[in-house]
Amino acid sequence: MKIITWYGILTIGDDGVTECEPFNKDVDELAELLLQKDVVAYSPGSGFDIRTVAIECGFVENDEEYNSLLRDVSIRAAKLQISRTNTPDMQIIQAVEALDDIDDVVNVLSERLSEWYGLHFPELGLSSEPLVRFVSEFGSRNNVPAEHPMFEKATSSMGSELPSADEELIMGFASNACELYDSRHSIEASIVRNMEKMAPNVTLIAGSLIGARLISMTGGLARLSQLPSSTVQVMGANRALFKHLRGRATSPKHGIIFNNPLVKNSPWWQRGKIARALAAKISLAARMDVYSGELHPEIKVNLEKKVNFIKAANPKPPVKQKPAGKGYKGKNKGGER
Amino acid sequence: MDVNEISEGIFEVRKGGKKILATKNANPGSNVYGENLLEEEGEEYRAWDARRSKLAAMVLKKMKVPIKSDSRVLYLGAASGTTVSHVSDMLPNGIVYAVEFSPRTMRELIQLCDTRSNIVPILADASRPKLYAHIVEQVDVIFQDVAQPNQAQIAAVNAGQFLKEDGHLLLSIKARSIDTVANPSKVFKEEVNKLEKDFDTQFKIIKKHDLAPFHEDHLGLVAKKKLKEN
Repeated sequence: MKIITWYGILTIGDDGVTECEPFNKDVDELAELLLQKDVVAYSPGSGFDIRTVAIECGFVENDEEYNSLLRDVSIRAAKLQISRTNTPDMQIIQAVEALDDIDDVVNVLSERLSEWYGLHFPELGLSSEPLVRFVSEFGSRNNVPAEHPMFEKATSSMGSELPSADEELIMGFASNACELYDSRHSIEASIVRNMEKMAPNVTLIAGSLIGARLISMTGGLARLSQLPSSTVQVMGANRALFKHLRGRATSPKHGIIFNNPLVKNSPWWQRGKIARALAAKISLAARMDVYSGELHPEIKVNLEKKVNFIKAANPKPPVKQKPAGKGYKGKNKGGER
Repeated sequence: MDVNEISEGIFEVRKGGKKILATKNANPGSNVYGENLLEEEGEEYRAWDARRSKLAAMVLKKMKVPIKSDSRVLYLGAASGTTVSHVSDMLPNGIVYAVEFSPRTMRELIQLCDTRSNIVPILADASRPKLYAHIVEQVDVIFQDVAQPNQAQIAAVNAGQFLKEDGHLLLSIKARSIDTVANPSKVFKEEVNKLEKDFDTQFKIIKKHDLAPFHEDHLGLVAKKKLKEN
């Protein structure tokens, strides 16, 4: 019987080890060998002490050498393993998370700016990115040029004057937020690029941002491909799903795939059906991306056919019926807190 | 200030009327996770917080820790190495195999391994010991802190593969990771039962103790392998 250990291959006969083929005593080589796949099939039996054999067959001189060599090898191996887990989808996951973080921050900042700048120019009527860009470009409303559409409002504003020291502060604040918006755009662009490269089919069916979000929520493209499409359909609708599982509501029809135009732009009575079809194709697309990596445009055509079929079959909203049965108290609004 | 060795490699340092649990720093001059360094009689000790470590809580609960200076220890659920670093302190002539499943926390564990000579990091699933049976030898002690629903089974398969006949299992059972709603003492009873009877490798429980107030709903447990009756 053969067994594999970290330092070599042993042959075991009826009365113990009959042969020992040690590997090269090279840390890099040993680390690679440590990670080989067939260790389970050739693993030592319970109670077999690999240390004594290593010393007996002369691979190492003594316990100290065994310890220090094994330590070096396994640290090297663990580092290799970690660098191999950093796949392209990890980049996408981090990028999606970064996008959400920036959104949080930028919302807070632009709301603050809106309050602050509102003291000086309350008639502006801009918010979020346009507001931030406006303030960082002009500063005081007195700098708005005559050809700018806001010129009229700027000259007749009821706001107080903005001292130049404050103007400097507020412009600096706005330009920081501007940079965050710039960074948001470039992260978004990089997600689109990476998604097209890594998951062309998912991108084609779901769209790059929804696809990236699905990957981020599942923890990787491979995992997404292994999920049933019913899960893909409701992913992101956690609250609604758990409410349903507790028996207090109907099942959710769509999670984040709601944001796909096919679902979003359809009338409400078709959305559930379309979401189901879309989720099914997303699962298929994810599997194609993982296992072949080639673009298959025909799934998009099939999806569109299916969607058109759903739309033709359900042209009118159904008549809503009150569910029969005892104890139904009408629609449960609000829900758990 | 005076120092009192309460178990091999585990010390109690008295400082201003307070007793502080500590281990002798194997890497003097630096700490691992922000813990205090205590200087005493030319030796440096690292304070060991029972609230952050199940093993330290077991020590404070007067459970006998069977680790000796030359022990070989298999540590399942090493996380980022807070407790592992103290185990490493206790083993000037021993070695600890630290198994951890998450690459994210392994990243921090490896940084600890780089500074110490007696930790062997293993990135693997502790419920599948065959995946690292080519690395780990027969050990004197298995310490397990994995917070998995099948933690009794994980202990049994690992002890079957790696634990010496007279070796010890140190186990921390987290009731909430087995059943979030059931009464913890009921969960503990069931888990102890499983350890004693359910698997190929069966255990004899030597001592068990609730780890509150350091860790709520945790049971600390010391056990030995039940020898097979022939």
